[in-house]
Amino acid sequence: MVNQLLNPVLLIVIPLGLAFSIPLFGLISKKIEKFIPTVALLFNLIVSVILIPKVLVNPINVSLGGFLPPFGINLVAGPVGILFTALIALVGLLVSIYSWDYIKEGAKEKYHILYLLLLTGATGVVLTGDIFNLFVFFEILCISSYSLVAYYSDKAGTESAIKYLIQGSIGSAFILIGIGLLYGQFGTLNMADIASKINSIHSISIFLPLVLLITGFGVEAAIFPLNAWLPDAHSSAPSSISAVLSGIAIEVGLYAVVRIVFTVFGASSFLMFFLFLGVLTILIGEICAFSQDNIKRMLAYSSIGQIGLIVFALSINTTYGVSGGLFQLINHTLSKALLFLAVGYMIYRSGSMNISSFEGMGKKMPYTSLAFTIGAFSLIGLPPFVGFPSKFMIVKAALFKHEILFTVLIALVLFATIIEGAYFFRVIQVLYFKGKKDDIKQKRAPASILIPLFIFVGLIVFLGIYPKFMTDVLNSAASELLNRLDYIKSVIQ
Amino acid sequence: MRKIISAILLIIIAGGITLSLMKIPFGIPKTKVGEYYINKGREETGATNIVTSVVLNYRGFDTLGEITILFIAALGVGAILSLGRKRTDKKEKIEPTSSIVYTGCRFLFPILLLVGSYIFIHGHLTPGGGFQGGAIIASAFLLIYLSCPGKRVNEKYSKITESLAGLIFIVLGLIGLAIGQEFLFNFLPKGTLGTLLSAGIIPIIYIAIGLKVGSELTGIIDNLIEKS
Amino acid sequence: MNFLNNYIYYIGAFGLVFIGLYILLVKKNLIKVIIGLSILDTGVFLFLIAVGYINKGTAPIFSKTGLNPKNMVDPVPQALVLTSIVIGVAILALALTLAIKLYKHYGTLNLRKIKEQRW
Repeated sequence: MVNQLLNPVLLIVIPLGLAFSIPLFGLISKKIEKFIPTVALLFNLIVSVILIPKVLVNPINVSLGGFLPPFGINLVAGPVGILFTALIALVGLLVSIYSWDYIKEGAKEKYHILYLLLLTGATGVVLTGDIFNLFVFFEILCISSYSLVAYYSDKAGTESAIKYLIQGSIGSAFILIGIGLLYGQFGTLNMADIASKINSIHSISIFLPLVLLITGFGVEAAIFPLNAWLPDAHSSAPSSISAVLSGIAIEVGLYAVVRIVFTVFGASSFLMFFLFLGVLTILIGEICAFSQDNIKRMLAYSSIGQIGLIVFALSINTTYGVSGGLFQLINHTLSKALLFLAVGYMIYRSGSMNISSFEGMGKKMPYTSLAFTIGAFSLIGLPPFVGFPSKFMIVKAALFKHEILFTVLIALVLFATIIEGAYFFRVIQVLYFKGKKDDIKQKRAPASILIPLFIFVGLIVFLGIYPKFMTDVLNSAASELLNRLDYIKSVIQ
Repeated sequence: MRKIISAILLIIIAGGITLSLMKIPFGIPKTKVGEYYINKGREETGATNIVTSVVLNYRGFDTLGEITILFIAALGVGAILSLGRKRTDKKEKIEPTSSIVYTGCRFLFPILLLVGSYIFIHGHLTPGGGFQGGAIIASAFLLIYLSCPGKRVNEKYSKITESLAGLIFIVLGLIGLAIGQEFLFNFLPKGTLGTLLSAGIIPIIYIAIGLKVGSELTGIIDNLIEKS
Repeated sequence: MNFLNNYIYYIGAFGLVFIGLYILLVKKNLIKVIIGLSILDTGVFLFLIAVGYINKGTAPIFSKTGLNPKNMVDPVPQALVLTSIVIGVAILALALTLAIKLYKHYGTLNLRKIKEQRW
């Protein structure tokens, strides 16, 4: 019975079933609705953590309906998939505990159902092995995030949501055209099957679907020219949703791009283009963040910069580079979620989103400000937090290539890090060193808001001091992405 | 200026797509997966409508995702419009519709429900299925909204129908997992080809999908009329 | 003429796609943009179904006995389009709801004027 519970299908189906049943629970009692996403995500976290040692040995293939691929849909639970699932479940669990007390107005039942379905869509994207199934779960992720950005239906929220929706839908149409072109040429929809038939990307009939798919998934992954929606959407959403959008949604979009480029197409020659695009994204993100007054917009631009850094690290195309990129992804998820959660509560207490209104919060809300400071230090890359080993791996990977190009690019990346440090230190200075010395009455935040902050801080410190905990998983994940022939062999015997 | 740049961009993409389409000739059988489904579909699933067996049996997981998306759309419309003013707040005099509209819509309502139900119950035998039938049922309710102003569908019952129908789909899939096979395994007997009670779990799932889609689209229409 | 006969469906489908893209890039009224989105989606669906067509084929339904399976069109693109139409409907419902709310807040549906969020 326990072995049956460890089937990767249940990672998607149990949260989906619980989400469908939340209205029925709501008819019994309105108070238990907010606990159901927490239960579902706890289940996901436990199952995915138990599965991690098993998939490091051998990826688990699940054929749905009993039909073998390519005639049926299959799920591929490999190191990359289960690592992402565990990350999604962890962050989702902590943010759902935060939302118990943070969401006070609006249609609360619908918020919790949409939140659980967003995370289910994200889990489905990282576990599937079929390209149209990837598109369907990706749409579940996108459509729930459109609805959640507009949750408060105020002026800013609806404007950001409509712009996000229009750009996202154009991206989805491009993905469908790409899938149609691939199906017309190869006759199958299974990713491993398509990968076994593609040998080079030099003919236009293979290059064009690659470009269309990257553009389509890239809208959600916020790669440079396609990220115009991001600052508005992440700053107008409720803060718990901003945490999940910045921490999970854009990472999952990036996973889809990476899966397409590395595994399906094997387009190593395309990665040089991504190298430049990544560095351009970092510079634009950090420079725009520096000039912001609204703290959530500043954090949103910082997310753009970090995605550029992850893209740069992944395009270095060596084991060190790809593991460094994945580690930086974990760092960004944990730190950015922590930052948004802390900022959310600070905005609630101070009433406005301008940085200048946070004067003296270091004394009025000591725990929350401490959490913000630790998140900021980890994002910049200071020891002993998890940002330091991840950035160190990326710099080392770039220098190991022994090429002038990489040295110049990594110098630009470090320059962007300095700008990042500058704007975060400006906020920390406002928190701690400004402010009138009058009313120092402290009011502690409720426990359900402080507990997620503490757990995030604990994880960031633990992984920063002891990064070897993750190195096995990261190396297996990197080798799964780099060796596409092993992936193809493990799916289609 | 904006028009010129857009036109140039679109021409470049059009050129690329034309060159790429040369590789996909029109009208020639090209796929091995499609042929397998047509040849083996009847014996493996028991449905005579091969599109239904692809949608519900071979690629059933996509259909699960699809009903989730419709659920999200209904929730999103409800959540965004929930802070709006209700139409019943304004003390306006609701004008009754003319007698032709009133009688005609009430006459058509049960006929449309019957047609919709027929389409989704026979989804595995004739063209159609849950989504098409559900849309027809929702259009029947739309006619009632248009012709009898002031009548509303009971929200509690439509919520219960939605959630129960979705749960039936998932429970049927989990039963397949519990008996030792994979998720969404077709475990009921396949029956004789071409009769109503054939094809295992496919008609049951389609009935659930038909009711779910019908109540969801009705909920969306109700939200748009009442709360805008 | 034979060339046109073979490719007319692709030309029609991509014609709709490009008209939809042009509307999305150029028009100012939100309702027109939503209609353009719908036209774009319709073009993509038409393209997907045209990929699966087989010459002189018929629907893959064995409604009478004795139908030859070799004359049937590919059922997979039809399943894909079935799912995608539902996705298109969901996006359309959300977009129209947001348009209702935007009109309430701003009083106009001109996208160039709904630009309160600056840098």
